[in-house]
Amino acid sequence: MPPALVRIGRQLVLVPLVALASYYLMAALPLTTEDDSKRQVSPEVLASYRKDLGLGQPLGFLRPWEKLFAGERLGTSAQGVTGDELLLKLSGSVGVGLFALALALTWALLFALLRARWRRGRLAVLEDALPAVAFGTPVFIPALLLAPSVVERGHLLPELSAAFVISVWPGIFLGTLVGDALETELARDYVRTARSKGLAPRTVLWRHVLPNVLPALLDAVGPVATSLLAGSFAAERVFGLPYFGQLYVLAVLQKQVAVVVVATTVFASLLVIVGMVVELARLAVDPRAREARP
Amino acid sequence: MSAPRVPVRAWVGLGLLVGLGLASFLAARVFPEALARTCPLGMDPTRPDRTVCELAFGGLWVSLAVGLAAGALSTVLGLGVAVGARVVGGVVERWLLRGVDAVFALPDVLVVMVLQLAGQSLVDAGQGGGLGPFGLMVTSLAMVGWAGPARMFRNRLATLEGQEFIAASRALGAGRWHLLRVHLWPALRPFVLAVFLSRLPAAILTESTVSFFGIARMEPMSLGRYLGTSYAALIYEGGSRVVLPAWGLLVLLVLGASLSSQALGAGARRA
Repeated sequence: MPPALVRIGRQLVLVPLVALASYYLMAALPLTTEDDSKRQVSPEVLASYRKDLGLGQPLGFLRPWEKLFAGERLGTSAQGVTGDELLLKLSGSVGVGLFALALALTWALLFALLRARWRRGRLAVLEDALPAVAFGTPVFIPALLLAPSVVERGHLLPELSAAFVISVWPGIFLGTLVGDALETELARDYVRTARSKGLAPRTVLWRHVLPNVLPALLDAVGPVATSLLAGSFAAERVFGLPYFGQLYVLAVLQKQVAVVVVATTVFASLLVIVGMVVELARLAVDPRAREARP
Repeated sequence: MSAPRVPVRAWVGLGLLVGLGLASFLAARVFPEALARTCPLGMDPTRPDRTVCELAFGGLWVSLAVGLAAGALSTVLGLGVAVGARVVGGVVERWLLRGVDAVFALPDVLVVMVLQLAGQSLVDAGQGGGLGPFGLMVTSLAMVGWAGPARMFRNRLATLEGQEFIAASRALGAGRWHLLRVHLWPALRPFVLAVFLSRLPAAILTESTVSFFGIARMEPMSLGRYLGTSYAALIYEGGSRVVLPAWGLLVLLVLGASLSSQALGAGARRA
């Protein structure tokens, strides 16, 4: 079997695994107690959860998905979700994530260029300090700092601001990675040979160096996608965006167990789709990937 | 043969970590009144009886304690899995590593949220095994964070096992446990410290984010919970006075852990 298919198959297995693991974890939770615990779930809500999860039914783990595809509401009426609403919320989050990805690539390019310039000057210390500051800053902190302009004064679009705050750390991470890969490739013999044969620096960069840097960039897209999607949870909460991240956080806070099962599986599927797109892109741009063993 | 020199960056990072730990312990636990009297940032907008400094340094102390405990537990779990995988070897090791990669691919924040929901439901039902919010958070973070260290330790062990001194020891009749105890563990020790320090910021940031959402019930409050419980007020009352000190402390903590981890990790690989 072609190695790429094997790798894609391994990723696909994650989706049913996550679906089953999250289902059985939620199904096993003791959601009510006999004493008067503060966070006790009422018998009516518990009955609704049991119905949503299909507990005690054959193939009960399919019940939340059946309800979604039939257009029924999962969870209690006020905080639950239908299939259409879930899609709408997901498309909102994916839209913000895609815009953030474009911004992250811009920051990556800028940071890689600045790093190359700083290396020769007094600002070399920023090369390490900036990634540390970006890594040490959870998404909710820049979101909180921007929030008065967005929420109170309405000066900025919430979606745009969310994309901006979640793109900073992935952008600097990608920039560091691309900068390092670029530096390694530029020091290789084939670059010197190409230059000594009279090729213009721009041609060497675009035709020879960048195709060798691209696989390193593709390797980082998976972690960056995870970081963007996880970051969107905090940004959506601060800016009040009613998308997938907000849905997930509220479902966990309100113990909407069926919604948690479905949302976790959808999230894992999204990551698998990103992984498959990366795998296909790798096949298109890197001949070594087509020949590699799985 | 002299021991490899500890890089200056590692000392700077460790100094920063120890300094922050001491400062937060003294400020939040030993002399809270002195801190309250001298705080230049004034009172907290949502808790008028506490100053911003008290809450920020108190939160730092809790975040650091959670990070240290979760980082240590993740490192020990990862080391156990890696050693187990190398000892068993073959198909079991391959499948174990695939499982490790699958866990590693899942986003920390999301999994910790689900584990917190599960853990809190168990605690509410009196089946929490005596775990409080602190123990629950440390366990959740360790259950997510062991995969990275397991991968790194397994790869490091495989590299070490391929070296000549190990082959020589094997040829002289050394058994697996003797190799592990006498040759591999001393070579692995600095790397274990580096991996532990690299888990520290990841655990602190994940805890902060989950606490910010209000999902974890950390008492006393961590930095994330402190910001999470007052974020609505911060949005409308110009909360940079509250956000900036907490951010600064988080950045310094992560900077310290990253610097020492990178420097010790690079040193361990060269040795």
